Amino acid sequence: MASWKLRDIIVLSSLSVVFAVVYLIFLQVGNVLVGFMGPMGYEVIFGIWFIVSVIAAYILRKPGAALLSETIAGTIEVLIGNVTGPILILSAFIQGLGAEAAFAAVRYRYYNTPVLMGAGVGAAVFSFAWGYFQSGFAALSTGLVLAMFIVRVISGAVIAGLLGKWISDALARTGVLRSFPIGKAAAQAAHQKQSSVKL
Amino acid sequence: MKTSHAWGGLLNEMNPSIKGLTVILGVILLSLAFDPVTVSISLIYVLSVTALFGRISWRRWLLLFVPFFIMAIGYFWTAALFPRSDLPQDSPLIFSWGPLKMTEAGFSLALSLALRTLMFSALSLMFVLTTEPVKFMFSLMQQCKLPPKLAYGILAGFRFLPLFREELRIMQQAHRMRGIWREKRNIRSMLHAFKRYSIPLLASAIRKSERVAVAMVSRGFTGGKRDFYCQLKIRPRDWMFMGIVLSGIALGYAVSFALGTLTWYGGQL
Repeated sequence: MASWKLRDIIVLSSLSVVFAVVYLIFLQVGNVLVGFMGPMGYEVIFGIWFIVSVIAAYILRKPGAALLSETIAGTIEVLIGNVTGPILILSAFIQGLGAEAAFAAVRYRYYNTPVLMGAGVGAAVFSFAWGYFQSGFAALSTGLVLAMFIVRVISGAVIAGLLGKWISDALARTGVLRSFPIGKAAAQAAHQKQSSVKL
Repeated sequence: MKTSHAWGGLLNEMNPSIKGLTVILGVILLSLAFDPVTVSISLIYVLSVTALFGRISWRRWLLLFVPFFIMAIGYFWTAALFPRSDLPQDSPLIFSWGPLKMTEAGFSLALSLALRTLMFSALSLMFVLTTEPVKFMFSLMQQCKLPPKLAYGILAGFRFLPLFREELRIMQQAHRMRGIWREKRNIRSMLHAFKRYSIPLLASAIRKSERVAVAMVSRGFTGGKRDFYCQLKIRPRDWMFMGIVLSGIALGYAVSFALGTLTWYGGQL
C-alpha cells in the first residue's frame, strides 16, 4: 500500500465508482436475460463485470491495480445497494485475482492486447470456479456447464479485454491520462515512431 | 412502514462488519445444501429475523426483491429441464414434452436452486437495507484494518456519484441541443452512443480525482495512523445476533435431516 500515491488510489476508486454503476445496470439486464435463457443469460454479458480490472491495470500499470479496482467496484456496488450484498465483495475479489494473475504471469511488463484479453480470461476462469460452488452449477448437466464456461471465457476476452482496451485508448487520446503510465507509454511510442520516420 | 417494537432497530444498530460477516458465512453455509426443505426453512427464518429486528421500508424491499424472483424462475426452468445426467433415472416423471422430461428428483433440485437465489437475496437485503454506507466504510477501517488511505480514497470516489449523475444529464442536454440523437438501433450506433457518454464522463472523473487528491494531501492527509471521531465498536450483542442468524440455518439443516430430505453437496463435479 505504501507504493500507492493517494492520487492513484482516488483515480482507481473513481473509475470503480463509474463501473460499479455500469455493473449494477448490467445486473438488471442480466437478471432479465436469466429469466428467459436460464443461467446462460449471465454468461453472455459476464465480461462486462471484469472490465474495470483491465482498464485500471492498463492505465495505472501497477501490481495490484486489477485486484484492487475490482474489489473496490464490488464494495461500492454494495454501498449503493446491490442486492447481492456483502458476498459480492468476495466475488469481486476472486474476479480481480483472476485478472491480476494474467498481469502477474507476464511480470507486469507487457500491457498489450493478448495480455489484456488474458486478464479477461483469467477473471472468467476464477469467477466460474467460484460461481460453480456458490450458484450450485453442480446441479446442472455437464454439457450445459461446459457451454456456460466457454461462453464466459469468450465474453471475458472480448468484453473485458477488447472493450476495456478500446475505452482506455480512447480516454488516453483525450489527454487526461498524460501523467499516468499509459500516457507516458503512448508518448514514448509516438516519439519512437517520429524518430524512425526521420531516419 | 416502520415496526414499533422495542428491539425493532437492533439490525440497524449492529456493527456493519459483523453483520457483513454473518451474511457471508450464511451464504457459504447454504451453498452446501441441495434440497428445497433446508433452504426454504432458512429463508422463512431470515425473513422473520429481518421483520422482527430490522427497521426497513418493505416497499423498497419488495422493489429490490422482485428482479431476483424473476431470476429464480430462470434458474428453476433451466435446472428442471437440463438436469445433471447422473440423477437417479428411476425417479417418477412429472411432466414431459417432446425430448424434455422433468423428473421428481430434477424438480426438487431445481426448486432448491431457485430458492437458493431467493435465500441469498433475502440475506443480502437484510444487510443492504439496514446499513449506512459511510458507517460500513468506517467499520471496515476500524474493525477490519482497512488502510485509511484506501478507505478515504473509496469514500471520496463514492461522493462523486451524484456529480456524475449531474454531469450525465448536462451531457445529454448538450447533445440534444446540438441535435444529436441516437441514430439507429443497431450495435454500431449503440457503441457510438456509449462512447459519446462514457469517455467524457471518465475523463472528468479522472480530472476530479486528481484535484481531490491534491486537496487532501495539501490538507495534511497522509493516510497514516489516525484516531476517529465516530467510533464503532463490537458489542456482545453483535456476536449474539450472528449466532441467531447462523443457528436459523443450522435449524434448517436439522429439520431437513430429521425429515430425511437433506441433500448435501456430495462433491459432485
